[in-house]
Amino acid sequence: MMRLLPLGVAVALGATPLRDAAGQDSARIAETQEVLAQLVESYGVSGAEAPVRARVARLLPDWARSETDTAGNLWVRLGSGDPLVVFVAHLDEIGFRVDSVRADGSLALERRGGFFPSLFEGRPALVHTGHGDVPGVFLPRDSSAPLTHAPPPLAASVGTATAAATAALGVAAGQTVTMPKRFVRLAGTRATARSFDDRVGDAALVLAVRHLDRARLRHAVVFLWSVREETGLEGARVAARALGTAPARVHAVDTFVSADAPLETPTFGVARLGEGPVARAVDNSSVTPPAALDTLLAVARARGVPLQVGTTNGGNDGSAFVPFGVVDVPLGWPLRYSHSPAEVVDLRDVANLAALVGAVAEEW
Amino acid sequence: MRKVGGRNGGRALTFTGAVLGLLIVPPPDRPTAESLDALALRLAGMTAVTGFEQAMGDSLLALLPGATRDPTGDVTLTLGRGTPRRLAHCAFDEPGYVVGAVTPDGYLTLRRVGRVTDRLFDQQIEGHRVTVFGDRGPVPGVVGVRSIHLARGRGGEDPPFTVDQAYVDVGAASVPEVAALGVHLLSPVAMTRQPQRYGPDLLAAPGAGSRAACAALLAAARARPRVRGTVVVAFTTQHLLGPRGGAGLATVVARQGPFSEVREATLPVRFAASPVETVSLGAARALADDLTRWMERAP
Repeated sequence: MMRLLPLGVAVALGATPLRDAAGQDSARIAETQEVLAQLVESYGVSGAEAPVRARVARLLPDWARSETDTAGNLWVRLGSGDPLVVFVAHLDEIGFRVDSVRADGSLALERRGGFFPSLFEGRPALVHTGHGDVPGVFLPRDSSAPLTHAPPPLAASVGTATAAATAALGVAAGQTVTMPKRFVRLAGTRATARSFDDRVGDAALVLAVRHLDRARLRHAVVFLWSVREETGLEGARVAARALGTAPARVHAVDTFVSADAPLETPTFGVARLGEGPVARAVDNSSVTPPAALDTLLAVARARGVPLQVGTTNGGNDGSAFVPFGVVDVPLGWPLRYSHSPAEVVDLRDVANLAALVGAVAEEW
Repeated sequence: MRKVGGRNGGRALTFTGAVLGLLIVPPPDRPTAESLDALALRLAGMTAVTGFEQAMGDSLLALLPGATRDPTGDVTLTLGRGTPRRLAHCAFDEPGYVVGAVTPDGYLTLRRVGRVTDRLFDQQIEGHRVTVFGDRGPVPGVVGVRSIHLARGRGGEDPPFTVDQAYVDVGAASVPEVAALGVHLLSPVAMTRQPQRYGPDLLAAPGAGSRAACAALLAAARARPRVRGTVVVAFTTQHLLGPRGGAGLATVVARQGPFSEVREATLPVRFAASPVETVSLGAARALADDLTRWMERAP
C-alpha cells in the first residue's frame, strides 16, 4: 500500500499531464472549452435547472441514453454487474428567486445558495421567466444605508413602476434571477466565468462519457447530474434513496475551493491552478477513507493523470450516499474566487479531471 | 409654370425659382430614435479612464467627420462662422485605475485615477471582470475576491472593499507572463462594461448619464444643423482631474473661446455612480432635439 500523504497538504503527483503531443493537448483543451462554455452560458438556479439539464443531454454522445427522475436529476447508466459506482456533478448555480412583486414593480428576492450578496448589488440582472429572460438591474443601496461591505437585502427592478407593469412583462414570484454571464479566456489556459461551480463537474462527466471505452467497463457505472445541490444536496438525496445500498462507491465531482489566491489564508486548500485535479480528501461533509485515497492515487498514476490531494471547505453530493454505506471519494479541480462572477480555472485541470473520471470508471 | 417673358418676367422667374429651390431643399438629417439609441449604447460600452481617453477620442473623431483633437485630447467640431461664438460640451472621461505594480506571481495591483464621490466605488470591481488596456489591446482580467467557502464567517460587518485589497488576475503566473500580454505599470484598468437595456426605454451602464448626453450632443452635431454664428461642439477630457470642469474644458475655452454662451449636455439619472446608473433613452432623444434647436436658434 502506498504511504498515505498527510492530509491538509496539497501535493502534485503522477507523471506529467496527459500531453503526448502539443496538437493533441490543444485539441483536448479546445473540446474542454467547447463543452464548458456552453454549460456555463446556460442558466439554472437551484430548482430551475431545466436549461442546463437540456444542454447536458445535447452534449452527450448519441448512444448515451439519458433519463430524468422526478426530482430533475439526469441519469446515464452504463455497464453491468457489481460493484455499482456513481459519479455525480450538480447542475444548479447560486442566485435568487423572486419572493414577491412589490407595489412599485420591484422584486423582493430570496437567496438560493451561499454567496456574498455584495457581488450582485448594483449589477445587471436577468429574470428567467420560462418564456425568455427579462433584463433588469439589482438595485444598489440608497445613500441612507449603512456603509458596510454587505448591502441590505437585495431587490431587483425590471424598469417598471407598478406591479401590473411588471406582470405584463411576464415576471412573477417564483421565477429565478441571476446576472448575465459569459465564458472568457484569460492568459494561457486560464478562463473566467460565473458558475464554474459546478459546470466544470458537469463538463468533466460529459467529456468522460464521450471518451469512455465502454468495452473496458467491468461493472455498472451511473453518471448523474443532480439538482438543488446548493440548497442542501436535495437532488442527490433523492438519487441516494433510489439506489439505496446498491452502490459501492460514489464520486462527487465538484469544486475544490482553492486558497491559491492572494486574499486567502494559505493554511489549507492550497491546490495550485494548472497542477491537476484534486482528491478532495476532507471537506465539511465527508472524509475519504485512506485506503480509497491510495487506490485513487494509484489509478491516476497508472494513467499519467496529475493529481493533487487536499482539504477544503464545503459539502458534496456524495455525502448523501454515505448513510447507505456507500464510500464517498470526491474529486475536484482548483477553483479561485468561488461563488463569484469572477471564478477562475485552468482548462488543463478540467481536461485532466475528465481524464481522471474516465480512468476511475474503467479501472476501479 | 407659365413662362413669363421680358425683364420683369425674367426676375419673376428667378424669384419663383428661388422660392421653389428653398421649398425643395431637403431638411437637415435629424437624428432618428434608432440612430441615437445605437450611439448611446455604443458610447456606454466604451472606456475612457481620466487621462487615458485616447481610444474613445479616436472613436469620436471617426463618428464626427471634420472634428479635430487638441493637445489635451478634447474632440471638437466647429459649426458655422462668425459671431456670436457659443459652446456646447460634454465630458467623456470616467474614474478608473492604472496598474500600480505587478506582483512576482503575476497579479496586478492598482492605483485609482480620477475623483470619485461614491465610497463604494472600489467595491464595484471586487469579484468582477475588469479590462486592462495594454499595448497590444484590451486584456481581460478579474479582481480577486475571497471564496465564500473559505471566508470562515468573515464579511458581515466588514468595511467596504478598497483599492488596496484589489489584485487583478489576468491568468498570468509571473512578471514576464504579464509583460508578454503588453501589460505594464500605468496600463489603464476599468470595470468591464456591460451596458444593459431594460424596461420601457432605459439604459444601464457605468456613467450612462454622461455617455447618453454625449450621444445626444454627437447626434445633434452629426445632423449638421444650420447654426447662427459659430457653435463649437466639444467632447472634453479630464473633467475628474484638475480645475473645476476639468483641464479639457479649460483648454477648449482657452484655445477656441471666448464664448457668449456655454451649454453643457446633461441628463438626469437613477442609481448615480453605480455600475447600473440608469438613463432614459427617451430623455436622450429629447435632449438631442433640444440641442439641435439651441444650435439653430437666433442668439
